[in-house]
Amino acid sequence: MKFISTIALQTSRNLQKTWPTQFMTLLTVSLSVLIFSFFFLIYTNMINTGEKLGDDLRLTIYLEEEPVLEMQAQLVRKIINFSPVEEIRFTSRNDAFKRLAIQLGDNVDVLDDLDASFLPPSIEIYPKKSLNTLAQIQRFSEYLSTLPGAIKVQYGQEWIERFNYFTKLLRIIVVLSGILLIMTATFMVAYTIRLAVVARQAELEILRLLGATNNYIRTPFLIEGFLQGLFGSSLGLLALFFLYRWIQLRFTGPGILQLVDFTFFSPPIISIIVTASITLCIGGSFSSMRKFMRI
Amino acid sequence: METKPVNKPIIEIVRATKIYSPDVVALEDISLSVPAGEMLFLTGMSGAGKTTLLKLICGIEHPDKGLVEVAGKDLNRIKAKEIPWLRQQIGMAYQDFKLLADRTVAQNISMAMEVAYHNIRAIKSRVIELLQKLRLEHKHDALAGRLSRGEQQRVAIARAVANSPRLILADEPTGNLDSKTTKLVMELFEDCNISGTTVIIATHDNDIYRDADYRVLELHSGRFLPQADMTTSTSNNMP
Repeated sequence: MKFISTIALQTSRNLQKTWPTQFMTLLTVSLSVLIFSFFFLIYTNMINTGEKLGDDLRLTIYLEEEPVLEMQAQLVRKIINFSPVEEIRFTSRNDAFKRLAIQLGDNVDVLDDLDASFLPPSIEIYPKKSLNTLAQIQRFSEYLSTLPGAIKVQYGQEWIERFNYFTKLLRIIVVLSGILLIMTATFMVAYTIRLAVVARQAELEILRLLGATNNYIRTPFLIEGFLQGLFGSSLGLLALFFLYRWIQLRFTGPGILQLVDFTFFSPPIISIIVTASITLCIGGSFSSMRKFMRI
Repeated sequence: METKPVNKPIIEIVRATKIYSPDVVALEDISLSVPAGEMLFLTGMSGAGKTTLLKLICGIEHPDKGLVEVAGKDLNRIKAKEIPWLRQQIGMAYQDFKLLADRTVAQNISMAMEVAYHNIRAIKSRVIELLQKLRLEHKHDALAGRLSRGEQQRVAIARAVANSPRLILADEPTGNLDSKTTKLVMELFEDCNISGTTVIIATHDNDIYRDADYRVLELHSGRFLPQADMTTSTSNNMP
C-alpha cells in the first residue's frame, strides 16, 4: 500500500512537470492507433464481405451436348474426385431457356423468334467453403474445363480477382499502418521518457544517493508508458468509432455499404488493440530506462 | 572506573587508498574502525581527504586498494540490489547540499523518507518536526532554490536525518551557519547520536567539538595524523 501510494505520488508529480510533452505523445499515439485501426476495420469488413460472397460462389460449366444420365453420374464422380462440393445442379437447354425468359420479365418477347434450344446445357457447381482462395478456385476451374464435353467454365473470375487484389492491397496497408503504430508508439514514448529522464537527471541522481531502488525510479516511468498506451489507444478507437458512426449515417441507403455489412470491432478486438498499444508503450518506456538509467 | 561497552563496528576501513586520475592521492593507506553509536569528528585542511573518506563510506566512491565495510557489507563486493538498502541506512549531508532547487523545502526533506516507502502521514509529521528543530518551519513551502545558503544547509541536514538512519555523515554541516544555528544543528546530531545513530562529522570548525568528549581524527594529505599530534594540533587551535 505504501509502495503504491508513494509511486502514485511520484507519477503524478512527473506528469505535472512534463504534461506538454506527455500530451503531444498521447496525441501521436492516438493518431497512430486511429490510422492503423481505420485500415484494419476496413480490412476486417472486406474479409467478412469476401466470406459472404464466397457463400454465393458458383462455377458454371457450359457443355456441348446434354449429358445422358450415365454421363451425368460420371461427371459428378469426376467433379467430386477433384474437390468435394456442396451441390451440383444440371441445367438442360430448355431449363436454361425458361430461366432466361423469367429473367427477361416483360421483355420476354425478344425470345419469340428464337429456338428454345439455342442456349447450351450447363452444370452449376457450388463448392464447399474450404475452397476459399483464388488459386484454389482457379485450379478447380481449370480442372472443370478439361471435363468431357465442357466448352467454357465461368465463375465471375474478373470480379473475384479484383476483390482478391483489393483485399491484398488492404492487407499491405494494414501491415504498414501496423508498423507505423509500432514505431510511433514505441519510439515516441521512448523519446518522451528519455527527455523526462534527461530533464530529471539531477533528481534521479539524488534519489539514487538517498537509496531509491530501481523499482522506485523505474515504476513511475513505466506507469507513464502504461497511461500513454491506455489513453492513446482509447482516444484513437473512440475517434474511429465516431468516424464509423458518421460513415454509417452518411452512407446508408443503396450503395456499397448495403452490399458490405459494415460493422465495428468486437470487444475482444478492441481489447487486443488496447493491450498491444499498452505493451508497446511500456516497452518503449522500459527501453529508455534501460539505456539512460544504467541502474 | 566504569568503562563504556564498545559496540560492534558499523564502519571498518582497512588500509584503504583512493587515487584520482592521473595521480592525485586523496587517501593513502588509512584504517579506521567506528563502533555503532559513536559520534566522531573528522578534521583537516581543505583537500586533506575528508570528503573522499565520507564518499568511500557511503559507497559513492570505491577505494583503489584496501577494504571498506559498512554495516557488515564489503562495499567492493556489495551486490547492486543491496546498494539502495545500504544508502537508506546512511544519511548524508553533502557539502554542496544536493537539493532540488525547484522543489519545496518539505519535498526535498520528504524524498529521503519516500524512497524508503514511509507512509505519507508519517513523512509529513517528521518533516514538520525537523523544520521546527532547525527553526525553518516558516520555510515549509518555500522553494529550496530561493533559500539562503545557511537555510539550504539546514534543509540538507534535515534530509540526512529524516529517515532516522543508522549512520549520519555530515560534510561541513556548519560551514554556512552562525553560532546560534550551529548549536541547533549540533543538538540535532547529538539527539540522533543519543538515540543510537552513529554520526561522523567532517569539519573545519573546531568550536563544534572543542568542549565535547568525542573522538576527533585529523586528516592530512590523505593520512590520519597520529592521535597525539592531532590533540596537539587541536589544542593549539584553542583560544
